[in-house]
Amino acid sequence: MIPFDFEYNKPDSLSDAIKMYKNFSLMNKEPLYYSGGTEIITMARENKISTKAVIDIKGIPECTVFEVNNNKLIIGAAVTLTDVSESKFFSLLSDTARFPADHTARNKITTVGNICGNIIYKEAILGHLVADSSVIIYGENGNRILPINLAFNKKIQIEKGEFVSQLVVDMSYSQLPYVCVKKTKQGIGGYPLISMAALKKNGNIQMAFSGLCEFPFRSKSMEEAINNKSISKDKRIEKAIKHLPAPILVDIQGSAEYRKFVLINILQDTLAILDGGER
Amino acid sequence: MNNFNVVGQSVQRKEALNKVTGAARYTDDYNAPGLLHARMVISPHAHAKIKSIDFTEAQKAPGVRAILTGMDFPVLTGSPIADRPPIAIDKVRYHGEPVAVLVADSEAEAAKAAFLIKVVYEALPVVNSPSQGIKKDAPLVHENISEYKVSGRIYPEARSNIANRTKIRKGNMEKGWKESEVITEESFSFSTSDHSAMETRSSRAEILPDGYVIIYSSSQSPFDIKGYISDFFNIDVGKVIVNVPLVGGAYGGKTSIQMEFIAYLCSRAVGGREVKITNTREEDLISSPAHIGLTAKIKLGSKKSGRLTAAEITYLFDGGAYSDRAVTISMSAGIDCTGPYNIENVWCDSLCVYTNHPYATAFRGFGHTELTFAIERTMDILADKIEMDPLELRIRNAILPGHTSPTQTLLNTNNLGDLPKCIQRLAELIHWDEGEIIEREDGKVRVKGISCFWKNSSTPQNAGGGAVITFNPDGSINLICGVVEIGQGTKTGLAQILAEKMNMEVEKVHVIMEVNTQTSPDHWKTAASKSIFLVGNAVLRAAEDALQKLYRTASIVLRCFPDELQIDKGRIFLKSNPNHGVEVKDIALGYTYPNGNSIEGQVIGKGSYIMQHLTNLDKETGKGNPGPEWTVGAEAVEVEFDRRDYTYKIIKAACVIDVGKVINGKLARGQITGGMSIGLSFASREAFLFTNKGIVQNTQLRTYRTIRYGENPDYLVDFIETPQMDAPYGARGLGEYGTVGMAGALANSLSKAAQVSLNQLPLIPELIWKLKKGVK
Repeated sequence: MIPFDFEYNKPDSLSDAIKMYKNFSLMNKEPLYYSGGTEIITMARENKISTKAVIDIKGIPECTVFEVNNNKLIIGAAVTLTDVSESKFFSLLSDTARFPADHTARNKITTVGNICGNIIYKEAILGHLVADSSVIIYGENGNRILPINLAFNKKIQIEKGEFVSQLVVDMSYSQLPYVCVKKTKQGIGGYPLISMAALKKNGNIQMAFSGLCEFPFRSKSMEEAINNKSISKDKRIEKAIKHLPAPILVDIQGSAEYRKFVLINILQDTLAILDGGER
Repeated sequence: MNNFNVVGQSVQRKEALNKVTGAARYTDDYNAPGLLHARMVISPHAHAKIKSIDFTEAQKAPGVRAILTGMDFPVLTGSPIADRPPIAIDKVRYHGEPVAVLVADSEAEAAKAAFLIKVVYEALPVVNSPSQGIKKDAPLVHENISEYKVSGRIYPEARSNIANRTKIRKGNMEKGWKESEVITEESFSFSTSDHSAMETRSSRAEILPDGYVIIYSSSQSPFDIKGYISDFFNIDVGKVIVNVPLVGGAYGGKTSIQMEFIAYLCSRAVGGREVKITNTREEDLISSPAHIGLTAKIKLGSKKSGRLTAAEITYLFDGGAYSDRAVTISMSAGIDCTGPYNIENVWCDSLCVYTNHPYATAFRGFGHTELTFAIERTMDILADKIEMDPLELRIRNAILPGHTSPTQTLLNTNNLGDLPKCIQRLAELIHWDEGEIIEREDGKVRVKGISCFWKNSSTPQNAGGGAVITFNPDGSINLICGVVEIGQGTKTGLAQILAEKMNMEVEKVHVIMEVNTQTSPDHWKTAASKSIFLVGNAVLRAAEDALQKLYRTASIVLRCFPDELQIDKGRIFLKSNPNHGVEVKDIALGYTYPNGNSIEGQVIGKGSYIMQHLTNLDKETGKGNPGPEWTVGAEAVEVEFDRRDYTYKIIKAACVIDVGKVINGKLARGQITGGMSIGLSFASREAFLFTNKGIVQNTQLRTYRTIRYGENPDYLVDFIETPQMDAPYGARGLGEYGTVGMAGALANSLSKAAQVSLNQLPLIPELIWKLKKGVK
C-alpha cells in the first residue's frame, strides 16, 4: 500500500518527458521517471520516497527499442531484465540480467532502472561495464552519448531531469570469452556477496564487481594487476585485491573477511577459465 | 479386515480446484463498504521506555477514526502466563512490538496517517540471548513476573527472566555416570527465526448492537480466540463468534492469539464497526510471534559399545519478550528431551527464558525440531568418538516397547512406533551401505548424514474434538467439525475416514471448510499433529451414531432387526438377502410410506473424543503421562559439498516414518515433504540477524531468505505402518514430523563433509568457513 497519492503520466516522446519533468519540478511535485516501478513501489510503501507525479517512459519509442543495428545492440530504458535474459543477442548480458532479484521482479525491473536506482548492488551494470557500453542520456539539449565507464562512477552521473534512454553495446564484444558469476550467502538468488562479470579482450581481462564494495565498479588498476603475466597467479590476485577502490562491504550478506575469501576463489576460477592452466 | 475402500487412497483434496483457480477466499480477501482498516505503529527498539506518543498530526489526517495506545484498555493477555498487553504499555520489549494502532476509512489513509504518529523512546539495556537472560545481573524483561496471572502448572521465577523450568529426573545420575566409559559433552545454539507463511496474518472484528462479537481470523485456534476474547475483555463466551476461513499456511505460527485482540480493541474504539487488520510482511515476520531459538548443552555418558547410560541436558529456549506458547514448547522439549533413545538415567532442565527478541510461538515440531538438532549432533559426535557407524549407534539405543520415556511412561507398541524398522528402511532408501562419504575428482564430496526423531504431543489433558454429520436428500453427507484447513488436507482425510466407515463414496461427503465456533462442535485447536486423532475419532463416533439411527429407520421399513442390516454405497439391506433393502436417501431425512405416513425424522450423527489417561507432570521429576503416542522416524540428507569454498547443494533428503496407517498417500507424502522443506530451509538459511541492540536486520523476504523452488532436493519418503489401536484406522500423527530431523541430518552430513563440528544454525557457507579457519 503506497500511502500517498500521485499523478501518473505517460508521454510518448523523449521531449515530452523532459518537459513534463521540468513542469512538475516547478510545481514542486518531485517527479520520478518510471518504468518497471519496482523500486518506487517498494520504497514508497515504506515511506522512504515520495512523489506527486510519475512519468512513465514505457510509451516512448526510443525506450522500448531492443535490437541490433549496425552491429550495435540497443537496449531501451523500458526493456526488462527478463527481456534481456531471454534474448540471444549477447550471452554475457543475458546471464548478468539474471543476477538481480527473482524472475517475477525481473519481469518488471529494467536494466537501466537497476543501474540508475538506489539499490547499491546494481548487478545489471556488470556486463555493460566490461563490454564498454555507451549510455545515451537525454536532457533539455537532446542526446548525450557517453561511455558507461565515464557516465557511471559509484552511481550514474546525470543531471536532474535527464534520464538514460538507451544503452548501446558493440556486438563484437559478444564473441569474446567471458565469465560471470554470482555468489550469495546461501542458495539461489538474493543479494550478492559478490557478483562479477569478466571478459578477455586483446589478451587482457576486463572485470567488474558488485557487492564487493558499496557500489559496483570496474577498476583499471585491479585489471592491470590481474593482467600482469610476469608474476604468479596468486601474486596477481593478491596485488589486484590491494587495488580495490573502497573498503570491502560489510552487511548481513557477509563479513569483509569472508567476502575477501570468496573474491580470491572467484579470481582463481576466472584466471583458470580465461587464462588457462591450474587454478 | 484390512480391505479399505477409501482409506489409503490418494483422494484429491476437497478444496483443490478452488485453490488452484484462485477462487478460494482467505481472511484478508474480504472487503465491504463501511469496513474500516487498522494500521499498527511498531517499535524500532528492542527494549525501551515509551516517553511519549504524539498523534496530533495523525488525528488531523483524512479518514482517521481512532488512534489506540495500550493505555486505552490496559489488559494483559497470553497463556499460560498473561504477560502481554495487546498494545505496549509503558515500555516496549521487542523490535516490532505494536505501540499504537490507528483506524481509518481506507487502508491507504490508515497507512498514511500511521506515519504521522511520533513516539519518543528511551532505550533500555537489552537481553539479547537466553544465556545472557539467565545471568544474575541481566536486565529484567518483566520486572514483576510473579504478579502475572498464570494458568496451569507453570512456575515463573521471581526477579528473573525465567518464565518456566521443566525438570526431568529419571533414574540415578550417579549410577549412570559410573557405568559410562565415554563422556560426550557439546553445546549448541541458534537464533529466533520465523514461519513466513504465504498468507500474512489477518483479523477482523465487529461488535454488534446486541453485544455479540464477530471475529474472522487466519488462525489455527478459533476456539481459543473465543475463550480468550471472553476472558480478557469480560464478554459472555457464547456471545463471541469466531470464523476461520481457509488459512494460507500456519506451521504453528497461527496458534497464538494476537491480531484478534487488536482487531477487537479497534472495533470497540469505533463503536463496534467492523475493522480489519492485516500484517505487512515485515510485521508478520517480527511483530507477530516467531519461531523459537535455542541454546543447549548435552552431556551423554555411554559404554564403549555405544550403549547410552546417562544424559544431562539443559535447554535454554529463547521465548522472546512474551512467554505465550514458548512456555509449553520448553515443557514439550523437556518431556522428550533425549530424542528416541533408551536412557535409564536422565537429568534435564528445560527453561523458557525471556529476552528482548520477537516472542515465540509454536513452530512445526514444537520444541522437537530444536532439541533434535542438539541431540542428533551429539549422537554423531559420540559415534565418531567411539568409531562406530552412526546408524548402528542409533539402532543400539533405539527406544522400544518395554522401555520408559524421560517422563517414566511405560512404552508399548500402541503408544510408540517402530523406530528400528524406520532406520532399516532408511538405510535401504539412501543406500547407506555405499558409504557415508564419497570423494569426487573435482574436489567435491558427497556426504550422507542421518537423524532420528520422536515426538509426543503436549496438549492439555482434556484436549478434545467433535463432529456432526447431517444428510442431504440425495443421501450425501455434510461433515461439520472444528478443524481448520491450513493447507494440511486434514478435512479431506476426515472425509475419507467418514466415507470408509459409512461404506460410501468419498465424493458424497461434503466437508464444511470454514470453521464457525457457534455452529462447529468444540475442537481444541488445529495443532500438534493431533487433528486426525481427536477429530477423526469423533468422526468415527458420529458415523457410528448415524449408522445406528439409519439402521433403526431401515429396520422399521424392512421389518427386521437393526443388527441384521448392512450398508453399502448408499443402500441399506439385509445381510441375508441383499435384494431386500432401502436407499439411504429415502430414509436419511425420515421415511415416507406410500400413503404419506412418515416416520423417524432426519438423521443427525454426533461424536466426540477427548484425550484419555493423560496426567500432569510432577513438578520435581517430570513424571507423568504427557500424550497419547510417540510417532517415530528416521531421516537423512545427502549433500554435495565443495571443500574449497564450503558451498553445498542438498541432493537428497529422505524420511521414513511410522505413521500407523496412511489415510491418504499423496497428502501424507506432501505433508512429510513440505515439513522436510521447512526443516531444510530453517537449518540452511533462516534466522533473524540481531544487532547487539536486539534489532532484527532482516525484516523482509529479500533478506530473510527461505528455500526457493529449484533449490529443493529429491525427496524420498516412505512409511512404516504399526497401528496405534486407539487412533482412527491406526493412524498416528504426521503433520509436523518431516521437519523434526532435518537440521540434525543436514548438520551431520556437513560436519562430516567439512571435517568440523557444526553446532550452530543456520548452516551457511560463511559459518563453515569461519569454523574451518579457527581449526587451521
